[in-house]
Amino acid sequence: MNLSDRIEALLAQVQKPVRYMGGEFGAAMKDAGDVDVRYAFLFPDTYEVGMSHLGMRILYDALNRREDVWCERAFTPWVDMADAMRAEGVPLFTLESRTPVREFDLLGITLQYEMSYTNVLESLDLAGIPLRREERGSDDPFVICGGPCAFNPEPLAPFVDLFALGDGEEETLATVDAYKAWKRSGAPREEYLRMCAKIPGIYVPSFYDVTYNSDGTIAAVTPKPGTDAPEVVRKAMVRDLNAAVYPESLIVPYGEIVHNRIMLEIFRGCTRGCRFCQAGMIYRPVRERSRQRLMALAEKLVASTGYDEISLMSLSSGDYSCLPELAHDMVERFARKRVKISLPSQRIDAVLTDTLKETQKVRKTALTLAPEAGTQRLRDVINKGVTEEDLVRSVTDAFEQGWSAVKFYFMIGLPTETDEDVLGIAELARLVRRCYFSVPKERRAPGLRITVSASVFVPKPFTPFQWCGQLESGEVIRRQKLLRDELRTVKGVDFKYHAPDVSYIEAVFARGDRRLADVLERAWRLGCRFDGWSDQFRYDLWLQAFADCGVDPAFYGLREFGLDEVLPWDHLDAGVTKEFLRREWDKAQRGERTQDCRKGCVGCGMKRYEGACV
Amino acid sequence: MRMLVRFGKRPRLRFISHLDLQRFMQMALNRTGLPIAYSQGFNPHPLMSFASALALGWTSDYEVLDVRLSAPMGRRRCEEAMRSALPEDLPVYGVRLVDDRDPAAMAVVCASDYHVALSGEGAEAVLDAIPGFLAAEQVFAMKKTKSGEREVDIRPGALSLVPSGDGFDARLALTEKLSLKADLLARVLAERAGADCPELRVHRTALLGRDEAGELKPLMEL
Repeated sequence: MNLSDRIEALLAQVQKPVRYMGGEFGAAMKDAGDVDVRYAFLFPDTYEVGMSHLGMRILYDALNRREDVWCERAFTPWVDMADAMRAEGVPLFTLESRTPVREFDLLGITLQYEMSYTNVLESLDLAGIPLRREERGSDDPFVICGGPCAFNPEPLAPFVDLFALGDGEEETLATVDAYKAWKRSGAPREEYLRMCAKIPGIYVPSFYDVTYNSDGTIAAVTPKPGTDAPEVVRKAMVRDLNAAVYPESLIVPYGEIVHNRIMLEIFRGCTRGCRFCQAGMIYRPVRERSRQRLMALAEKLVASTGYDEISLMSLSSGDYSCLPELAHDMVERFARKRVKISLPSQRIDAVLTDTLKETQKVRKTALTLAPEAGTQRLRDVINKGVTEEDLVRSVTDAFEQGWSAVKFYFMIGLPTETDEDVLGIAELARLVRRCYFSVPKERRAPGLRITVSASVFVPKPFTPFQWCGQLESGEVIRRQKLLRDELRTVKGVDFKYHAPDVSYIEAVFARGDRRLADVLERAWRLGCRFDGWSDQFRYDLWLQAFADCGVDPAFYGLREFGLDEVLPWDHLDAGVTKEFLRREWDKAQRGERTQDCRKGCVGCGMKRYEGACV
Repeated sequence: MRMLVRFGKRPRLRFISHLDLQRFMQMALNRTGLPIAYSQGFNPHPLMSFASALALGWTSDYEVLDVRLSAPMGRRRCEEAMRSALPEDLPVYGVRLVDDRDPAAMAVVCASDYHVALSGEGAEAVLDAIPGFLAAEQVFAMKKTKSGEREVDIRPGALSLVPSGDGFDARLALTEKLSLKADLLARVLAERAGADCPELRVHRTALLGRDEAGELKPLMEL
C-alpha cells in the first residue's frame, strides 16, 4: 500500500479526519519535479489552531509565489492520530502531497508559545527526523524555527539547525536561496549553516559556545572560532509593509477553524510600550499598510476566497492612524457584497461604531477589554495606558450601543502587586455594574454579563520585566482565592482562572537556557505533548523530568535575574536595547509611565536599525 | 433562473460533513462572480440547496446543487465559474439551467444509484445473500429514524440490486415516504448470510427523478 492509502486507512479511525485531509480550495499544488526546493512548514499544534495563524499564511504565500519552491503544510497530529500513526508506521506527512516530512529540504517550524515545544519534538519524532541536530545526516531536512519564541531559542538549541529572528518574509526566502546555492556547491552540511549565518536575522546555535559561572548563571555566549558568526545576531526587519508580499488568495478550510475569515494585517508593531508585553517590544517599530494597499488587498481576497468577513488585525487596531476612514471605506466598498468588517473589539470608539453600525454588521459579541491590572498604581507600573475614566467611557458607550456582555482580562502576579491591587479588580467589576445601571433601562440591552478572566503573569525575554521571577504558585493561589471570594460579592460576575502549573512551566522555558533541552526531551519521552491543552498537560511528568535531569525549575522560573547577569538571550538583538529595558524596569519600580512613542521617541533602540523609525 | 450543478466528491474529501460542505459551497458561490440570489435578513446567504445529503465517508460522481440566480446566465459561463470555484477533489461534471417555477432538485429526486465496494471478511457472504433478498417479499430490519429505532420492511426500497465487480450496484429509493441507505442494505445482507458486515466503500453514481412518462432518469437528463 502506498502512503496515501495507509493515511486513508487511519482517517477512518480518528476523531477529526478533516485535520489531516488536505485538498482545500487554494492549497498550493505543484509538481515536485518542477521545483528546486521543497519546504515543509510545520505549525506545532492542531490544524484548527495553525490554520488560524496569519504568519503561516503569509510565509506559505511568499514561498509558493516562487516557481522554484513548493511549500506544504504539516501540523502536529492530535494524540489519537499520533498513536495510530506510530502503530501503523505512518510518518508525519504534508497535507498537500502527502509526502513524508523527512523527505523535504527545509523544515520551517513556527514557535508561538513555549508550551508547544514538546510538540516540536513529537513532530520531529513522528517525521522520523533525529531530534538532535548532530545526529542528522545528509538525507534529513534542515530544521529552521521562527516566531516570537525564537527570541529565546536556547532551550531548543540542540534540536534546531537555524533560528529565524524577526520578520519572516525576506529572511525565509533568503534561507531558500542559500539552500539552492549550497545544494549546487555540493559542500558538506555545515557549510549551509555558515552561509545562513550571514543572512540578517539568522542565528545558528551550533556556532556558539556557552560557559557558566559556579553559581549556575551564564558566564558568556561566544561565537566559536572560525565560524564567522556574529557576536550579536540582529533580528530581520521588513521596512516597508506596503512593498512586502501579502497573500491575495488564501486556503479556504472545510471545517471550522479558530479564525475563519479574511485576516488583514493593517500594521505591525505597537507603540504603547506595555512593560509585560513581549509582542509590543519585539515587533517594533510600527509599520502601517496604507489604506490604498489594504483596500486593494481586501478586494482581491474577497473575490478569491468568497469569505463574508474581513478582520482588521494588528496588535492594537484602534491605533491605526486613520482607522475611522479605513473602516468607512471598507464598509462602503463591501457592504453591497455582503461582507462584514470586524475589529478585535479592544476599543470602542463612538465614530467607529457609528461607521460599522451603518451596515448593522458589527458583531454584538462580548466587548473585550484588557485593563490587565486592578488599580491605577499597578497599571502605571506596567505602563498600561488605560485609566478608570477610559474604562468607564468604553463600557458606558458599549452599554448604550446595545452591548450587555463584557469581558475583562487581568493578570495576577505582576511585579509589585499587593492585595489592594488584586481586590481592585473586584472594585472595577463593581464599577462596570454601576455603569450598566446608569444607562436608562429602555436604552440598555437586558441581561448584564461580566466575565473577569485572570491569567498568571509570565515574565518574558526582551521586556522590562525580563529580570523578574514569577510569583510562587502558593502565593498565586492565595491571591486567586482572595479575588474569587471578593468577586462572589458582586452580582453577575463570572470569574475565570487556572491552576498556575502551566504558567510556571511556561515561565521556566521563557527564561530558560540550553540546559533545559535535556528536561524538554525527558518530558516528551515521559509522554508530555500538547501542553497548552489543559486535558493533555501533565504537571507531574514535568516535575519528574526536572528531577530526572537534576535541574531546578525555580532557578529559571522564580529567581530574579541579576541586572548585571548575562541573560540567555543577550547575544540576540530584538531591536530594543538592554539599556532601554533596564530604564523601563527602573521606571516601573518607581511607578512612572512612559509615553506612547508616537508622541515622541522614547529611545528604545530601534533607531539603530536603518530606516526603522522615521 | 436556477442552475443545477452536478459535481463529485472524491475519496480525499469523503470526511467532509454535509454541514461543512454547505458552508463551503456558500463561500464557493460567493467567489464565482455569478449573479447569485441571496436571502434577505441580517445574515444574507446564497439561495441554494442540495438534491440530497451524502453520508459522511461516502464518495460520489453525482451530487447536485440547486442554486438560484438573480439574473439570466449562459450555461457554459456557469459551468466554468463553478469549475474555477471548486477544488479538484470536488469536480464539476455539468450544469443544467432550469426555470424558477420548476420544483427544487430535492423535491424531484426519488432514487439514487450506488456502487458498494466490499472488502475483508463477509464480502462473499453479502454477495451470496443477494438472490435470497431479491426473492423475499418482505425483509424487516431495524431502521434509525428521527423518533428512534423501529422495524420496517426495507425490501421495497431496493429497486434493483446486482453483484458487480468488487461489490454490488444498487438502485435505492430516496423519497420522504420510502428510502433505503446503502450501508443498511449491506448490513442486512450480511446479517441474512450470518456473516459479519464487511468493510464498505459506498459510492454514489447517480441521482434520479421521474420524467413525464414516469420513468426514472438521472436528474441532469430530465
